[in-house]
Amino acid sequence: MRMVRFIREGGKAMYLPDFNYYCPHSVQEACAILADLGAGAKVLAGGTDLLIKMKHELVVPKALVSLKNIRSLADIGYVEGKGLILGARCTHNDLVNSTLLHQRYLSVAEAAHQMANNQIRNIGTVGGNLVNAVPSADLPPILIALGAQVTLVGPGGERTLPLEQFFTGPGQTVIAHDEILTEVVIPDQSTTGSTYIKFGLRRSGALAVVGVAAAVTVVERVIREARIVLGAVAPTPIRAREAEERLVGNAVSTELLEEAGIRAATACKPISDIRASAEYRRDLVRVLTKRSLRRAIEQGHV
Amino acid sequence: MRDNYAVIGKSVPKIDGRVKVTGQAKYTGDLKFPNMLVGKILTSPHPHARILHIDTTEAERLPGVKAVITHKDVPPLKYGISPARWDENIFCIDKVRFVGDKVAAVAAVDDETVYKALKLIKVDYEVLPAVFDPIEAMAEGAPQIHDEYPRNINTEIHQHFGDVEKAFAQAYHVRTDRFVGQRTYQSPIEPHSAISMWEGGKLTVYTSTQSPHYFQYYIARQFGLPMGDVRVVKTFVGGGFGGKLEPTGLEFAGAVLSRLTGRPVKMFYDRHEMFAHNRGRHRQIMEITSGVDRDGKILGVHANFIMDGGAYTSLGIATAYYAGAMLTLTYDFANYKFDMIRVYTNLPACGAQRGHGAPQPRYAFECHLDMVAQDLGIDPLEMRLRNARKPNTITPNQFKINSCELEECIQQARRLSGWDAKKGKLPRGRGIGIAVGSFVSGAGYPIYRTNLPHAAAIIKVHEDGSAATLYTGATDIGQGSDTVLCQMAAEAMGFVYERMKIVAADTETTPHDFGAYASRQTLMSGAAVKQAGEEVKKQLLAMAGEMMQVAPEELDCREGVIFVKGRPEVNITFGEAAREFFVRKGPLIGRGAYTPPTLGGTFRGAAVGTSPAYSFAAQISEVEVDEETGEIQVKEVWDVHDCGTVINPALLHGQVHGALYMGMGESVWEEVLFDASGRILNPNLAEYRLPTALDMPKITSALVDSFEPAGPWGVKEVGEGATIPTMGCYANAIYDAMGIRVYSLPLTYEKVWRALREKRNADFSQNRQMAEAVPATPDEAARGDGR
Repeated sequence: MRMVRFIREGGKAMYLPDFNYYCPHSVQEACAILADLGAGAKVLAGGTDLLIKMKHELVVPKALVSLKNIRSLADIGYVEGKGLILGARCTHNDLVNSTLLHQRYLSVAEAAHQMANNQIRNIGTVGGNLVNAVPSADLPPILIALGAQVTLVGPGGERTLPLEQFFTGPGQTVIAHDEILTEVVIPDQSTTGSTYIKFGLRRSGALAVVGVAAAVTVVERVIREARIVLGAVAPTPIRAREAEERLVGNAVSTELLEEAGIRAATACKPISDIRASAEYRRDLVRVLTKRSLRRAIEQGHV
Repeated sequence: MRDNYAVIGKSVPKIDGRVKVTGQAKYTGDLKFPNMLVGKILTSPHPHARILHIDTTEAERLPGVKAVITHKDVPPLKYGISPARWDENIFCIDKVRFVGDKVAAVAAVDDETVYKALKLIKVDYEVLPAVFDPIEAMAEGAPQIHDEYPRNINTEIHQHFGDVEKAFAQAYHVRTDRFVGQRTYQSPIEPHSAISMWEGGKLTVYTSTQSPHYFQYYIARQFGLPMGDVRVVKTFVGGGFGGKLEPTGLEFAGAVLSRLTGRPVKMFYDRHEMFAHNRGRHRQIMEITSGVDRDGKILGVHANFIMDGGAYTSLGIATAYYAGAMLTLTYDFANYKFDMIRVYTNLPACGAQRGHGAPQPRYAFECHLDMVAQDLGIDPLEMRLRNARKPNTITPNQFKINSCELEECIQQARRLSGWDAKKGKLPRGRGIGIAVGSFVSGAGYPIYRTNLPHAAAIIKVHEDGSAATLYTGATDIGQGSDTVLCQMAAEAMGFVYERMKIVAADTETTPHDFGAYASRQTLMSGAAVKQAGEEVKKQLLAMAGEMMQVAPEELDCREGVIFVKGRPEVNITFGEAAREFFVRKGPLIGRGAYTPPTLGGTFRGAAVGTSPAYSFAAQISEVEVDEETGEIQVKEVWDVHDCGTVINPALLHGQVHGALYMGMGESVWEEVLFDASGRILNPNLAEYRLPTALDMPKITSALVDSFEPAGPWGVKEVGEGATIPTMGCYANAIYDAMGIRVYSLPLTYEKVWRALREKRNADFSQNRQMAEAVPATPDEAARGDGR
């Protein structure tokens, strides 16, 4: 996991480098501009990651293509047979305040609520959180646990894939430079509970040292299905499959959840950085895995 | 002793509250002047390097650039804030000593051009070996940071009062513990900024400062100007906490850029540059030994400290002395030894941060005292009561304590927190801890040697009697001194707060005052204001006497009404008398000045820590520790303060909350981190974790009855005192909750987790050897733990 560290040489600028600015009115138009400009162009949504990286000259795009005039990307809706749809330009606070999410997947709204601080949540977007592919991002674990799909639109058309297959490394995804992530779909499902537990080093404005999401289907105290997703302990969010396998088909017990925690801890690949050591992260995975499972089992989608 | 006051003692609204909440208040960064340029400083990318060559030609050629300056364009005179160690230059001449050291500066028409120009300055460096740890820096063969200081020793202190060795020999129990503090940064929300205008032989600087006077003194000295030709004006300030007490490159470079261009120049630090400029808390390595008798009475203490000073002295000499000097305030013991070495390293310079040198040693001592109490089987609160300082005593390092209600602070904190019902009785994972603290109410001596009074004030009553303006050099940096001093002025004159105006902290229009540091203004500036107000009142009563045909001594004035004592129905208004005074005699002015009495002993360093008065505080906190993750939740804190008479209770409790907030941050979250090349890893508010509102516990701030004879109306300090006990208090509460001791700050979740794991492992192996276990005596148990 490569952490983005804003180390500056002494005296280096903290000033936005020059760039051209575009604000198209449709996704098609945006893709066409991106295709035209090539790899030097970047998509701008909330800008809470991109503009800071630009100020520190970690990225120096020749052009920014803003999505702010593409209103259709900012909706949250439900389509029968498809599922719950989160537009990529929805802000984190749109998720926090969404009645639809409160009714169906409060866990997603709660995960969004744990992110950053209110100012960032007011402007940072769902799509940005995914496309930036920061290993400690808070939305991917819960969305992957709920089996979310993402839609990518490019000049040649659109494609849909599981979010789980979207990330390839820190800051790396399968998205092409002329593609735009337009929506996230949480499909209808039989899960009985889901949750995300973030461990940060203060209550607000802290990145996840470890984030664990769990989604479970429990019938008469027996776990029929389980998905556990770990954040900030590998180059991408990862499934803890050994832990999931241990759970399926078994009755809920303290020992079972502890065992799942140990398996998840064994499977993760944390690094040491300025926030935490690898061994601390690994033990937190154990603890948070059993706690998130317990909560998803006992309390539903919270 | 207490009077029935009309204006002081009341939570009047802050005098600048409305302009601040409506955004009308202008900070230096908000100000614009015609033709103003923007300036910025180029700093070093290396922690230690020789400057071979600086080429500014390309930067100078950039359109919009008006001036580029290096060491060749500025006075070569070394400066600093501690006269004993002036070791900084406006720009580095031969070499740079930390990442962020100042090399050159640019003035241009706008921000964008300035940033572009900085990149065009070419500096050739020969990179030198660097050292980042004070112990390594003292070793033979370590890189030499300043030629004048062998082994990089910046300051060395050896003080001995009484006979510590003898006290230890006579003690029932002697224990040594070792602790490590961390580097923290004040992190004021408002960045440093300055606008300099050098016009017609006079230099005017608008700046975000804690002390216009020291800025004026050092700027004048640097440029060889009479102080009268330098005007320093404080604007609204968004926090200082010790970091804005000394002039920065912004004032010096800005002045030169303004002189060269003939235009006003605005300079500022961004957040990263603030961290690099630093002047925050030193990292200290602290070894404490104490000897106690069978009942826990402290007989002697030896404090043996080393501190990482960073690349320059800043206020660090005072910090080094304070670290040891203030350990003697809270507990009564006769024998004390203090050894300290402050060491240069290739890191940003450290200085004074809220509580100055005191909070980390206090953390160490309060933890140590808890362990001594544990060795002896004494309740930690009882241990503190047995040793608590009494009023009208003298410390071994010769500080005279007048008022001191520490015992009552401890007792009240005990009652408020429910200590007796909680200590040792809380459920697993919950704990309660206590620590105490004390702080000066202003330093007994100024930073440089001078016989100027410490504070002065003028009150001018408006010609029509409708208002009065207080002119004071005292410096409001958000703490509310403007408000408190106006309350004091109104009280002394017999006037009303609502009709008070204030002009403050402008070296040309207001009389001299040393500014906001060492928690001095309520007592010292307040004393000058009281005198000025009383002088107005005296003149006014004389005038009213003439007008009313009554002897002035028969009259009194209160809340804007002058009346015959015992016959309040016979009265005229303050305004009527004031107007008449102006008609008959000219301006109605009152003047005041304050100089503290001669304080302290005659030994080397005796001045540091002297003060006319000392505040005292006891803090108890209750924490919850997550046994599996090490996460610490502070549930509740009780702070009981002895700060003398209270002028404005709301502001006072605000200071306690703010000081506690900073203490909390340093206890658990804050630490400036560096990579192996001396670059700051977390120079931003995302990774330098100040606590947020969500992290704050429930706070009870309470006061004990107290009156300080050395202060006007009996006042003492409050601004820094509440920062001091917090770190030790939390550490002790964590110990009570989980039986683990973290020997370094901050007490991070991971350190707690690690200590818990070590304890579990130790308990496990101990359980296996239970059968052979033999109980140790307290002495043996203690000496075995020689951390």
